[in-house]
Amino acid sequence: MTPDTPHISSAFDREIDALLAKLTLMSGLVERALVDSAVALEAQDTDAAERMIRADKDIDALDEQINLDAAGLIARRSPTASDLRLILAVMRTSSSLERVGDLAKNVAKRTLPLAQSRQVEGATSTIRRMAKMVAVMLEEAMRALTRKDAVLAADVRARDLDIDTMYNTLFRSLLTHMLENQSNITPAMHLHFIAKNIERAGDHATGIAEQAIYLATGELPSDARPKAEALGSTAPKA
Amino acid sequence: MNLMQTPVSDTTALKPRITASGVQVYYDTNHALKDVSVNILDRTTTAFIGPSGCGKSTFLRCLNRMNDTVASARVEGKILLDGQDIYDKRVDPVQLRARIGMVFQKPNPFPKSIYDNVAYGPRIHGLARNKAELDEIVETSLRRAALWNEVKDRLSAPGTGLSGGQQQRLCIARAVATGPEVLLMDEPCSALDPIATAQVEALIDELREQYSVVIVTHSMQQAARVSQKTAFFHLGNLVEYGDTQQIFTNPQDPRTESYITGRIG
Repeated sequence: MTPDTPHISSAFDREIDALLAKLTLMSGLVERALVDSAVALEAQDTDAAERMIRADKDIDALDEQINLDAAGLIARRSPTASDLRLILAVMRTSSSLERVGDLAKNVAKRTLPLAQSRQVEGATSTIRRMAKMVAVMLEEAMRALTRKDAVLAADVRARDLDIDTMYNTLFRSLLTHMLENQSNITPAMHLHFIAKNIERAGDHATGIAEQAIYLATGELPSDARPKAEALGSTAPKA
Repeated sequence: MNLMQTPVSDTTALKPRITASGVQVYYDTNHALKDVSVNILDRTTTAFIGPSGCGKSTFLRCLNRMNDTVASARVEGKILLDGQDIYDKRVDPVQLRARIGMVFQKPNPFPKSIYDNVAYGPRIHGLARNKAELDEIVETSLRRAALWNEVKDRLSAPGTGLSGGQQQRLCIARAVATGPEVLLMDEPCSALDPIATAQVEALIDELREQYSVVIVTHSMQQAARVSQKTAFFHLGNLVEYGDTQQIFTNPQDPRTESYITGRIG
């Protein structure tokens, strides 16, 4: 149960609104970092990549601020029921967003050596499409969270499968490039780590969608998350 | 040790001590309690919460027939203590209240010595054969109420001379002196400071190892801290009863949610 009626203490409502506003701001920065890092990679724009490496600080600062605010709310308001679930969900979501910020930063870092090396055909445009899809997932997971919309959250969660499939396809393609020409190995390895970063960002978006479900229903989804098939015959055995 | 901490415990294996079914209470024409059915488990602290006038204290008072003293009150339905109907004609309310003790909102020690306050119940119920046995009951009860060390050197001093928190623990000692099976507490900490409240809460947690404790409280945090089961009353109805953890993290009824989160609703 998640009522939309206001609290008797309107100051409590204002504090929760302010906390959600910070989280939404943070999510906006993270979505942009993810897409911009992939765009910078494709354009080999090292200036943009360097700017983005520095900008990750803003995301980290917001995470810290959100955690302080949430701790303050817990200490002063003793939230219960949906209020408690909201604050727990905000804290977990903030951690996930902070991690996605780090992953985007890592994409930007790898863009610097990649700009100096051989091009691997097709990879960066696939990565850009993946990053765009994950950014949309993040945006919609956040909307599901702020609107307590379990249906939208379930839809976002199901889309993680598409990201996994794209990652697996790209993995096989990069492997083929490496087998064809040894001088592709260094750039292909960087591109693989980048693709893996985006895939991980998709997992975080899925995690945020699960927090939205927890907030709306009081329970985390119990069924296993949809998973793509393992990497297939070309994958190294783990 | 954190005095405020209550370990989450499994209550599934516990038997009901009190079984209430279809309890209705009327004060003249005012229908104060509507068809309440609930089990009060053995060795469990059950919290009754709800807004003023919701019927929680009325129901608490049914459990040891305190409503008998209210001329306009009429109680219907069945309340069983260990399978025995407490409203049966043959049940003596005074004997019943020795088995179901009560602690009130304001500490109300008798204007007697600390010793006599605790010895009062055992004396009228003839629970001690001699002075030595009575001394022992007084000491055990004061120890159980975590008050012994503070008063053992002044047992003949008046109970009314103690601090508020000590007076409330004296009343708890008085209630446990008759060896009750159930302890009813009607907002026992509302007149106490946080330290005394923490002491009483720690005490409640110890008492529930032997008794079934039922506490009416207006403090949501207190209910969350001390109880394993919570019952939410609203307009005379028992709206929701469940594990305290569940009630405070994921209540099922929107009225419960609105009340515990402090919403207009």
